[in-house]
Amino acid sequence: MSDEKEFIPNIVYGLCAWCGTGGSETAAAHHLKYPENIKPFRVMCTGALDPVYILRALIEGADGFIVSGCHPGDCHYDSGNYRARRRIAALKSILNTLGLDSDRVWLRWVGHGEGQRLVDTAFEFNEHIKKLGPNPLKSRRDS
Amino acid sequence: MDDIKWLQGKGKPGIKSFFQDILTRGLIDTVLMPAKNKKGNSYAWFLMNKDGFLETSDPIPPVMTIQGANILKNITKKGESWSKTAVVLRPCELRAVIELTKLEQINLENIILISFDCPGAYPLTQYISGDQTSLDQKYDSSLYTASFETERNACIMCDKFTGQGADIQLCFLGQSDDGFLISAASAKGKELLKDVNGTNEENLEIKTKKRDELLGQLQKEKNEKRQVILDRFKETIYGTDNLLNVFSACINCHNCRRACPICFCSECYFESKALYSEADNQLNRATRKNALRMPSDLLLFHLGRMNHMSISCVSCGACEDACPENIPVSLLFSLVSRDTQAVFNYDPGHSLEEPLPFVVYKNEELKEYEAHYTKRHQSACNCNTK
Repeated sequence: MSDEKEFIPNIVYGLCAWCGTGGSETAAAHHLKYPENIKPFRVMCTGALDPVYILRALIEGADGFIVSGCHPGDCHYDSGNYRARRRIAALKSILNTLGLDSDRVWLRWVGHGEGQRLVDTAFEFNEHIKKLGPNPLKSRRDS
Repeated sequence: MDDIKWLQGKGKPGIKSFFQDILTRGLIDTVLMPAKNKKGNSYAWFLMNKDGFLETSDPIPPVMTIQGANILKNITKKGESWSKTAVVLRPCELRAVIELTKLEQINLENIILISFDCPGAYPLTQYISGDQTSLDQKYDSSLYTASFETERNACIMCDKFTGQGADIQLCFLGQSDDGFLISAASAKGKELLKDVNGTNEENLEIKTKKRDELLGQLQKEKNEKRQVILDRFKETIYGTDNLLNVFSACINCHNCRRACPICFCSECYFESKALYSEADNQLNRATRKNALRMPSDLLLFHLGRMNHMSISCVSCGACEDACPENIPVSLLFSLVSRDTQAVFNYDPGHSLEEPLPFVVYKNEELKEYEAHYTKRHQSACNCNTK
């Protein structure tokens, strides 16, 4: 092992209570594993995930935030995921304008039965954040 | 042309006499507009009937002390006005009124919106600490020529300075100072204009044309200027370091939120118990970061506020006027809102019919903001087969 400590990103995974969490249940049923540094965060619907939660996580210690919920058309509450997409588009646009790494926020739909897709997404995002490096915001004292 | 009239009257007193006239003749019951305070260094809003029309009232004050949309919201939030009220608003105030109407904070029943060609305004502090008489004179003389120069950021880069969208528009641009044009855009406005004692003279067409020409040229110039200013500003705030430098003077007073017309929530998330931290929480965060600036949650407040209202931001600059630390908040919010509004192709305050982007959605849209799933991830395969 090299002397340099390997960077293990701190990642929050926002999952909706129906499809996102369902996907993780399916993954569990198939004994699929995802990186341990990814912390699931369950909300009733991606539409109920206020972007302020994402901002707070990024400011207070997360290196990345990923959101998964029902595919368009499959929302348990009919239109929550469409609203989530609009909110996250606005959030990413703000981060992009201010130069705050909008790439640290991902939105990807995962259905209830798609355990493999959830695990793949978790790995892919983990690698992606490892490449980006630590989030400069999380160590800022003057935030 | 039955929706445009020419009204004789020299300068500001002429404009004021129009309101006096429609009040005394009962075309409206009350009028809401700013009036100069007794000390003569600031303005306050007054809701006046025909017997109470103040000598010091000024439909086009040289400063914006309180965003007019906030005043109208206070009057009509709980229900419609029962007296026929004319409200005189700057174009940015008007746009905020339209946004707040869509957000169901203002009821436009019985309200006649009157707006005008706005020359801009002085920054609040400059006006209050300066020599008001000379500032007033300078301001009033520039009403017809669009030659007013100000240091107020929101006004320097304003490219929507006409009363487009109001029931009644007062047009000064390109006119001689012995009168002005009144044009009505809605049914409500046309009904009022019908009884106004204006002349419908022949050279009306020449006068409108003169204004349109000047307007087209001005709008183009101002829009280009706005883009240049915002682009240049973006370079100075881009990135974590620069952004936190801009906010480093912030004292977390939340005045920008209170002055903002679009921030209408009676209980703001950022002032709620949700952000109230126990000592333990603060100490934990300080330990994690090795130090923590107090009061905390500064960046969260500003970014969160951008998130909540930038889509409806009308670039009025009320936030910057209210900032005791002179942080260029209006530039920041205008910059961010330019991009968020472009995402949804939304123009706030343009029309009552255009729905708010967070209220509607399309089934197929914004694909570029999703992270697309392409293939099974290599590490996932390795990990699961071990």
